[in-house]
Amino acid sequence: MADRKIGVYICTGCDIGNKVDIEKVKEYIDDECSPAIIKELPFLCGQAGLEEIKKDIENEGINGVCIAGCSPRVNWDVFDFGPEVVVERANIRELAVWSYKEPDLPPYEETELEADPLTMMVQDYIKMAVAKLEKIEVPEPEIPEIAKTILVVGGGFTGLNASLDAAKAGYDVVLVEKEAELGGFAAKMYKRTPSTYPFTATEENDIAQLISAVQDNDKIKVLTSAQIEKISGAPGTYEVKVKVGEEEQNLKIGAIILATGWKPYDASKLSDLGYGKIKNVVTNVEFEALAKEGIKRPSDGAAVKSVAFIQCAGQRDPEHLPYCSSICCLVSLKQANYVRELSEDAKAYIFYKDMRTTGIFENYYKSAQDDPGIFLTKAEIEEIVEDGDQVIVRVKDTLLGEDLEVKVDMVVLATGMVPTTLEEAKLEFELKQQASGEEEEKKEEEEGGEDPRLAKLREISCLKLDYRQGPTFPDLMLFDGFADSNYICFPYETRRTGIYAAGCVRQPMGLVAAKEDATGAALKAIQCIESANRGVAVHPRSGDMSYPKFNFTRCTQCKRCTEECPFGALDDDEKGTPKPNPTRCRRCGTCMGACPERVISFDNYSITMINDMITSIQVPEDEEEGGYRFLVLCCENDAYPALDMAALRGKKWSAYVRFVPVRCLGSVNTQWIAEAMSKGIDGVLLLGCKYGDDYQCHFMKGSELCNRRMDNISETLAKLQVEAERVKQVEVAIDDYDKIPEIIDQFVEEIEGFGPNPFKGF
Amino acid sequence: MARLKIEPDIQFIKELQEAGGESLKKCYQCATCSVICPLSPEENPFPRKEMIWAQWGLKDKLVNDIDIWLCHNCGECSDLCPRGASPGDVLAALRNMAYRSLAKPAILGKWLSSARYLPILFGIPALLYLIIWGFTTGLTIPAGTIEFGKVFPGDYTIDPVFGLVAIFVLFTFASAIGNLFNSFKSSGYVPKEDAPSFWKCLIDIVKEEIITHSKFQKCSSNAERYQGHLLLFYGFVALLIVTSIVAVGHWGGKLIGHQLHTPLSLLNPIKWLANIGAILLIAGLVLITRMRLNTDPAKSVSSYYDWYLLGVIWAVGLTGIGSEVLRLANVPGLAYPVYYLHLVFVFMLIAYLPWTKLAHLVYRTVALAYARQIGRKGLDE
Repeated sequence: MADRKIGVYICTGCDIGNKVDIEKVKEYIDDECSPAIIKELPFLCGQAGLEEIKKDIENEGINGVCIAGCSPRVNWDVFDFGPEVVVERANIRELAVWSYKEPDLPPYEETELEADPLTMMVQDYIKMAVAKLEKIEVPEPEIPEIAKTILVVGGGFTGLNASLDAAKAGYDVVLVEKEAELGGFAAKMYKRTPSTYPFTATEENDIAQLISAVQDNDKIKVLTSAQIEKISGAPGTYEVKVKVGEEEQNLKIGAIILATGWKPYDASKLSDLGYGKIKNVVTNVEFEALAKEGIKRPSDGAAVKSVAFIQCAGQRDPEHLPYCSSICCLVSLKQANYVRELSEDAKAYIFYKDMRTTGIFENYYKSAQDDPGIFLTKAEIEEIVEDGDQVIVRVKDTLLGEDLEVKVDMVVLATGMVPTTLEEAKLEFELKQQASGEEEEKKEEEEGGEDPRLAKLREISCLKLDYRQGPTFPDLMLFDGFADSNYICFPYETRRTGIYAAGCVRQPMGLVAAKEDATGAALKAIQCIESANRGVAVHPRSGDMSYPKFNFTRCTQCKRCTEECPFGALDDDEKGTPKPNPTRCRRCGTCMGACPERVISFDNYSITMINDMITSIQVPEDEEEGGYRFLVLCCENDAYPALDMAALRGKKWSAYVRFVPVRCLGSVNTQWIAEAMSKGIDGVLLLGCKYGDDYQCHFMKGSELCNRRMDNISETLAKLQVEAERVKQVEVAIDDYDKIPEIIDQFVEEIEGFGPNPFKGF
Repeated sequence: MARLKIEPDIQFIKELQEAGGESLKKCYQCATCSVICPLSPEENPFPRKEMIWAQWGLKDKLVNDIDIWLCHNCGECSDLCPRGASPGDVLAALRNMAYRSLAKPAILGKWLSSARYLPILFGIPALLYLIIWGFTTGLTIPAGTIEFGKVFPGDYTIDPVFGLVAIFVLFTFASAIGNLFNSFKSSGYVPKEDAPSFWKCLIDIVKEEIITHSKFQKCSSNAERYQGHLLLFYGFVALLIVTSIVAVGHWGGKLIGHQLHTPLSLLNPIKWLANIGAILLIAGLVLITRMRLNTDPAKSVSSYYDWYLLGVIWAVGLTGIGSEVLRLANVPGLAYPVYYLHLVFVFMLIAYLPWTKLAHLVYRTVALAYARQIGRKGLDE
C-alpha cells in the first residue's frame, strides 16, 4: 500500500502501562516500522483518547490506525473511524498483559536481549498489526444488478407462510408448487393440533384461509403444477427455469426458500406391524384422510369403536428411521380425539416408547389424558394379529406392570417423516463415496462419458442447481437426508448461500414450528438480498466486504479451490479456471488455504500479510536466554473468543506463544507453516473448531480440510528431519476457555522436549 | 405372567371421578407418590399402580385391591404430585366406591353416594320418630321437668329401634366382610401356612395401630388431620363407653332390680365422661373441618362422602349438646325438638354406617389385620 499513513496508539490503561516498558516498545516500533505517529495514551477508548486519534486523522492524514490495547472483540464500534480509515488491533491486553506468565529465564539485562519477555511480546503484537496495516487495501466490491424477487419452492404450509411473510416485508415472491393445488399435507388434514394458548384443544383446519391470503396477495405470483427445471447463477442473480404445465418460464431471482416438505415413511416396510397384511391397520397419514371423510372400518365399513395407536412405528429404530419425527405423538393425540368424537364409549389406546410432546404442547397431552376414553401406556409391541374384522394388539413392558392384549377395530401406525431431499442426499453420498474411494475407476468413467447416476441426481434433486459441485446440497446424509446444516447455530442455512431451508425438509416438525421456520427463512432470504446488493457477505461473516481475488496468470487449473469450497461458490470453465461467484461466497478463505500456487487473496487478508506477521515475531537465537517461540494460528470464531475469555478470567499461559487469528482454519495455507519453521519458530499450534460428522466449524469443512493439509505438512517436515509433532491441530469450542492454558502449555512443554527448531538462526 | 386382556370400563372411570377421583386421568406414572408414601410396601407399591388401573378402567383389579385400605389419606402424595393427579383423592374415591358396593342392599349404597338422596336418608328417621312422638304425646311438648323419656320412652321406642338397627348393621357388615375377604383372596393375597391367625393380627392391630394412631402419625405432613382424627376417635370411644354403661345399667339393672336412671346427675362420673366425650368430638370436628376447608383445591378436593360424615357427626354432636344444655336451662319448647333431631341424626350415623365413610372403622381394621397376616407392610414398618 503506497499511501498508507500509519498511526500507532498504545493504550496504557487496564494494567498495560504498569506491566510493560512502554518507552522500549515505542522505540522498537519506531525503529522497525517507522509509523507516521506513535503515541501512548492512558485510556484510548475514552473521550480524550478518541479525540486525539480523530485529530491525527484530520490533521496528519492518518489512514491506518493501529490500536494497541484490548481485544478486537471489544470496543470495535468505538474504534471505527469511517470507511476510509483502516483499523488494526494489537491485542496486548488479553493476549499479553492479562495472560502473561513469568517465564523461567535469566534477567534480560544479563543477556543480549534488549527487553523483558512481556515487553518483547507487546513489541511483537504491535509490529504484527502494523505489518498487516501496511498491506491492507480497502475492499471495493463489484455489485451486480440484483433481482429482489424471492423464490419459494413448495406450496405447503411452510411455503405459504414464507411467501406471505416475504410479501408482507415488501418483497416480490414467486411460489412454485408441483401439485395442481396449494396446501400440501396441511390441506389433507381433518383438524390441526393447537396453535394458540392454552394449547389444549384440537383446532379446525384453517389452511383454506392461508391459501386464499396467498392467492389474493398482489406481490405473490403462484405457479402450480410447476417444476423447477434448472437454477443457475448466484444470490441476487439467480436464473431459474420453471416448467409450468407445458410452458417454460425464466425467472430472475434474488434468494430461494426451500420448503419442499416431507413424505411419509414407506409403510410397506412395516409388515411386522401388520401393515399391508391386515386391512384395518393403516398409517397416521391414511387415518387423517379417513377422518376427513368420516371414519369407517376399512375391512367392512362398520362403525369404529376402538383404535390402537402404535407410536414410533418404524422410527427411532436403526432398521427404519433412526430419528424421532417429533410430531407423531401430537398427531396420535389429535387422532385419538377424532376417535372420541365418534361415540361416548369409543376407546383410543396409545402405545408409546416415550411420550414426546415438547414445550407448551405438554398442555395438549394433558388435556387428551383427561379424556376418560383415551388410554395411554408405554409399551413394546409384541404382535399385531387379525381377528375377523378386528385386530388384536399384544404388548409388553407396560406401565401396568403386565403384558396386555387389546382387541380393537383399527390400528394406526404413527409413521414418521422423510424429507423430500432424502433420495438426492443418498445418491449424492453414494457418488461421493465412490469418488473418494475409487479414483481410477472414476477416471475411466470420465473417459467413457458421464456417470448416469449424476444425470439421475440432476433429475431427482429438488432445486436442480447448476453448480460446479453438483445439483444438490452436499453431505445431507449427516442429517438423515434433511436439508439442515448446523443445528442451533445456523438454522435455515444450507451449504448453498442464498438458499434457505424451512419446515419439514429441514427438520421434522409440526405446524407451529413450521410457521416460525417460514418466517426465519424469509428473513434470511431478505438478509441475503440486502447483503448481495451491498456487496457484503451474508453469513456468518455478515457485512464483510472483502472477497477472494484471483491472480489468474499464475493459476494452474488444479481445481483444488473449486472442489474444496464448502459452499460451492466457485464454478469453473472447461479448462478448470475458477469462475468466482462473489455473492455465493462466505469469505472463509478456504480457497486461499487450498491454493498451492498462492494466487488467491483478500484485500484485507492474504498469504503475504500473514507471512509478514509471522516474520514480525522476534525469535531469540538462544532459547536459554529468551525462550522458545511458538506460533498459534487460531480460529476467529471460537478459539479466539475462548482465549479472550480465559484471559478475562485470569488464566495464564506460556509467554513464548504468539497468536495470529485466522478467519477459519480452512484458510491456513501451508506456506505459513513453512514460513514459521524456516524462521526458527519452534512449533505451530492450530486452534480451531471440531471437525467430522458432528462438526462445529462455522464454515463446515474448514477445520477438517486444515487437518488434512497438516497431514501433508508433517510428511514434509519429516523429510526435513524436523519432528512432525512441531505442528499440531487441536479442536476447541468457545466454552473451552478453562482448558486453553493447559492445551497451550502442554504443547509448549512437548516441543521443549524436542529442543529448539534446528533451523533456528539460519 | 398371564397376559391381561383389557376391556376398559369407561363408565367405571366416570363413576370413580364422580366419587372423588376427578383428577385420576392426570397421572403420568412418575411414581413420586409411591416413593414418598411411608406406608406403601416395597412390592407393588401403591398408589402408583392404582392410578394406572383407574386410568385404564380396570374395575376388577381395583375393587379387589387391599392397598386402598392401607392408605391413611394423609395427602402427602397429592401434595407432591407434579401433575396435580391427587393420588390420595383417587384412593379415597376407591374407598368410597367400596362403601357403595361392598354392603347390600345396593340401593342404600346409591342413596349414600350423592346429596340428591339426602331427603330420603333424613326422611326415614324423621318420619319414624315423628310417628312415635305422635303416639306418645300427640306431637305436643309435655309439661313438667324435662325428661326426654316422656316423648321417646327408651324401653319402647329408642332401644328397640336402635337394637334392630344394630343387628341390621352387624349382619350387613358380616356379609360385607365376607366379600372383602373373598376379594383379597381373589387378587392373590392368601396368608402363608406359618402366618399368625387373623384374630391375633386383629388384636395386634387394635393395640399397636388403632389405639395409638401410629400409622397416622407417620404421615407427618398432615399433623392437624392426625390430631383431629385422634380427638374424634377418643370422643367416640368415650361416648360408646357411656352408652354401653347406660344400656347395661338400665337393662341389667332390670334383672337385679336396681336400675340406672337417666338423665344422670351432672356429678355422676359417667356423665363427666359423656361430657368429656362430647367436647373431644367437637374439638376433633373443628380441627378436621378446618383442615378440609383450608386444603388447596388444586392438591386435594373433599368428596361428598367426606362432607356427609363430617356433617352428620357435627349434627349429632351439636344436637346432643344442645339437648343437654336446653334441658338444663329448662327450655322445653326447644329441648324436645332438638332431642328429636338428635335421634334422627344418630339414626343417620348408625343405620347407614356400612355405606358411609365411617364404615372404614370396620373395613380398614379388617384389611389392616389381613395385611398383617399376609405380611404386607410399608417400607417404614
